[in-house]
Amino acid sequence: MGGRESNLVLLDENGIRCDGRRVDETRKITIKAGVLKNANGSAYIEFGDNKILAGVFGPRDVHPKHMADTDTGILRCRYHMSPFSVTERKNPAPSRREIEIGKVIKEALRPAVMLEKFPRTAVDVFVEVLQADGGSRCAALDAASVALADAGIPMRDMVSACAAGKVADTIILDVNNEEDQAGQADMPMGYMPNLKKITLLQLDGVLTPDEFKKCVETGIEGCKLVYEIQKQALKDKFFANGGE
Amino acid sequence: MADSKRRYVIPGDVITTGPYRPEQNVILEDKKIIATTVGISEIYDDSVKVIPLTGTYIPKSQDLVIGKIVSHSSLSWEADINSCYVGMLPASDVFGRNFQPDTDELTSKLKKGDLIAARIVNFDRSRDPLITIADRDLGKIDSGELVKISPSKVPRLIGKHGTMIQVIEMATNATITIGQNGLIVVACDNPVGLLKAKKAIQMVDEQAHMANLTDKVKEMLESNSE
Amino acid sequence: MTSTSILDQLKRTKIHDLLEKGERFDGRRLDEPRTLSIETGIIPKADGSARVRLGDTEVVTGVKIQPDKPFPDMGDKGIFICTAEILPLAHPTAEPGPPGEDVIELARVVDRGIRESGMIDLSQLVLEKDKSVVGIFADNSVTDHDGNLFDACAYASTVAILSCKVPKWEMKDDIPTLVEGQKSSPPITTIPVSVTMARIGDHILVDPNADEWACMDARITITTNSNGSICALQKGGDDGFTPEQIFKCSELAISIGAKIRKQIDQARG
Repeated sequence: MGGRESNLVLLDENGIRCDGRRVDETRKITIKAGVLKNANGSAYIEFGDNKILAGVFGPRDVHPKHMADTDTGILRCRYHMSPFSVTERKNPAPSRREIEIGKVIKEALRPAVMLEKFPRTAVDVFVEVLQADGGSRCAALDAASVALADAGIPMRDMVSACAAGKVADTIILDVNNEEDQAGQADMPMGYMPNLKKITLLQLDGVLTPDEFKKCVETGIEGCKLVYEIQKQALKDKFFANGGE
Repeated sequence: MADSKRRYVIPGDVITTGPYRPEQNVILEDKKIIATTVGISEIYDDSVKVIPLTGTYIPKSQDLVIGKIVSHSSLSWEADINSCYVGMLPASDVFGRNFQPDTDELTSKLKKGDLIAARIVNFDRSRDPLITIADRDLGKIDSGELVKISPSKVPRLIGKHGTMIQVIEMATNATITIGQNGLIVVACDNPVGLLKAKKAIQMVDEQAHMANLTDKVKEMLESNSE
Repeated sequence: MTSTSILDQLKRTKIHDLLEKGERFDGRRLDEPRTLSIETGIIPKADGSARVRLGDTEVVTGVKIQPDKPFPDMGDKGIFICTAEILPLAHPTAEPGPPGEDVIELARVVDRGIRESGMIDLSQLVLEKDKSVVGIFADNSVTDHDGNLFDACAYASTVAILSCKVPKWEMKDDIPTLVEGQKSSPPITTIPVSVTMARIGDHILVDPNADEWACMDARITITTNSNGSICALQKGGDDGFTPEQIFKCSELAISIGAKIRKQIDQARG
């Protein structure tokens, strides 16, 4: 994180970032719901150069049986990066980083999904990063949310995710790869837009209390923007041509 | 969607506020009625519900379902009923009260892969649902093809007072057995009729939320006839 | 491939009845593969990539090229490694975790089909003999499983390799250093094409889908090269083939392979 010598101008005198964006602009985001035939629910997202596929199975039987909970369904989440998704080929075996991200995404989704109605079952969320750019865990969470809704898993709210951060002493929205490497802070966030609850929050870097507050507020605005795109993806699949 | 009491919703959408009773696929949080699945919300005089457009089948007592035998023990069969819970069919249901586990061989009546029309006897979420095939209109299915649709579309396939399914059966001469769990068996002597019936069922699965669907299905069934 | 869900008895019977009449459940002829669609360059950051749909089976493959150490007694050859993974989102029975024997067989058969054909001239991929060579990695991710992953992965890998761009490295102080902006086409000698066939009773079916896979007695995957020679072969399944059936399969592999080779060649971009 940070400190690397770079010729890259992260923020110029006109407030333009290294990829041409303004400080409150996200990268280009597209989401498509229902892209797989076998999965109960699925979604594909392109978030900047991130290309991520999410598939959901469930509620379904739990194996091994001892993992089942008699009172409620359980949520399981796997985050995995394809070997060809990053600049230097990655070993297909899951790394510790991937396992941690899987856990963090699961805990971001858990407050939203209502599994008390399905004791002794599991809802499995599988996310595969086909191409990685900065902020893949937020993009993965965005796709997972849409996939869960596509599968009809009852949820009290969607979960929308976007990262905020700091470069050149300025709070910015949606940190890209270069900004993550050479910037001063990166804060991925997951947010339930209607219940107004933050369910994923991590920080890499140093922020003063004021910067922290501004960073969280900026992140929330970013999550709200992504929420609109998630909504549209579900509308396109389920409500197209139905008239409103 | 001219009727303002019906609206497309996704999870988390606030449908309305006020003294309504939350029914299917809806929760009450802080005086707000919130949708929990993708679907169409409906507001009645004293309650609100959401008709889902996706989602798994949850067994309900007395539901007719199509099941597929996947395994058995010495005392019962297990059937895949397209749900997160597996249907349990006790041997006594088929062999009768005098069932003898050592002499009565389960596979002589039903084996792995067999399809059955069954009814859910009871279901509470603490154990797998009990099913029965001991009725005139139930039992092993000997002919036809299995078609799968989203369980949430089954009411649309049946139609109000059975109108949709009648349209399809009459136009194709097929006999269609609809499981509430989204599994459907289509039997037809005529291969063209079979194909058209399957196509009509698929159409309902894909366009259940659209208006005038019955007319569109009628049109499709009539237009292809040579 | 993985122990798929149980096929219902009515469908199993129907598949057999139709075969007696020379027909298949989805209307194909016995020697007809499903519709094949190929897209390249879908992962721009990789050195080569492809997405292949064979019926409802879908595979995404990425090719990464980077300098590596040669294998111990092959100091004059570059490295080629092919892997395959059935993503857990591809099928309800696909489980995350270390690969089982089915997936390992899949990866090795796809790898052999390409390697034994000599598709990539590995002698052209040496930076410094015995010290540094170019490694080409083709990684297959199955995203949707409807049978015959062997062919889908093989086609995706082949196209991804054909369409890839190999960066240039120069040895500077014994370290391979990237030379920007000088990519070249890979050294290709032939285009291998695999064709997988299933035997159900006395009938040979080309490109079995998941339902047919569930009721087959045995299967065989045969890979041919651009000359029409057979360069790799794998029989699988719990039963066997008569010699006559094997010869028939080899003829089908050559003729159908030729048609698919044309499509792959066109798709390389």
